[in-house]
Amino acid sequence: MKLHIVNRSPASSQVHAQAVTAMGPDDRLLLIEDGVQGALPQLVRYFEDIPGRLYALREDLEARGLVGRCDASVQVVDVDGFVQLTEEAEQTVSWY
Amino acid sequence: MMSDSDLEAGELLVILRHGPHGTSWLREGLDAALVAAAFGRRVSLLFMGEGVGALVTGQQAGPLGQKGTAPTLEMLAMYDIETLWVEAEALSSLGLAEDDLMLPARPLAAEAIERAVAAHPLVLTF
Amino acid sequence: MRYAILLMGAPYSHQASHSALRFARAVLARGHRLEAVFFYHDGVHNAARLASPPQDEPHLVDAWAALGAEHDVPLLVCIAAALRRGLLDSREASRHGKAGHSVEAPFELTGLGQLVDLGLRSDRLVTFGP
Repeated sequence: MKLHIVNRSPASSQVHAQAVTAMGPDDRLLLIEDGVQGALPQLVRYFEDIPGRLYALREDLEARGLVGRCDASVQVVDVDGFVQLTEEAEQTVSWY
Repeated sequence: MMSDSDLEAGELLVILRHGPHGTSWLREGLDAALVAAAFGRRVSLLFMGEGVGALVTGQQAGPLGQKGTAPTLEMLAMYDIETLWVEAEALSSLGLAEDDLMLPARPLAAEAIERAVAAHPLVLTF
Repeated sequence: MRYAILLMGAPYSHQASHSALRFARAVLARGHRLEAVFFYHDGVHNAARLASPPQDEPHLVDAWAALGAEHDVPLLVCIAAALRRGLLDSREASRHGKAGHSVEAPFELTGLGQLVDLGLRSDRLVTFGP
């Protein structure tokens, strides 16, 4: 199982699609930086192929005023949780 | 469709997602792949998205003599980098076919890309 | 576990540098070993010793240096990517006949082979791009 990290918003970039294409059936995806926009209910459909495996970084949501606006399907983790996700994965792949 | 057995996995997969000339991503990604190969590591290359433009035939030097990456790509075999893959969907989305490519890169469907990424212990994206 | 970080975003242009520092601190706080931070592509600008941000902004270059010194983390800068972008230590500056230098310890200029080595010997390599 790999952890994929995406830092671009699906509103302006195709990077999320590359990540989803490369993801295996157990892989997880963490949204960081501008990527956290993907956690909004209006954009979360871009990740419908990976149900239950979508995470977003709390600190980056907070900085953007988005922390209370995430779709319920997104699991919000802080930076300690980010490290924990990397511990649980065998390796990470970043998409930027 | 390829099976798992014919997916030749190396130790390092370098994914190249940018075309030549516009940025240094392609050149610097290729440099990482060449160095890894020079150190005796088994390296696979996957050209994804805009990155398939790296393989188009007939590339030239850019303005001010900017070298581009085609000469580097021609050296891949010398470095024993023989596993070359290209995202099939990206190729067709640009209206390109295998005949348009300067190297024999094998088109991979989405499922095969997923397996290629899973099969490599280290994946670097550029 | 043994972690390594690959940073490819320039400070003050992209969040990558902040993200990588925050992640590095969290990795260390969870008791892991950070084998090295490797600076590549525009990430080499994190080693610019002349960086002078306004006082009310974090000094990212100093923050990396402090992290490196405090936790004994090598700060490895790709020499080919750095030289092209005007980032030279005193040795490279004199070799190229330049009057000043722009990189100093604890950052060290090194070859790309170090990145490959780092990627393959660490348990986790986490990349922060622009």
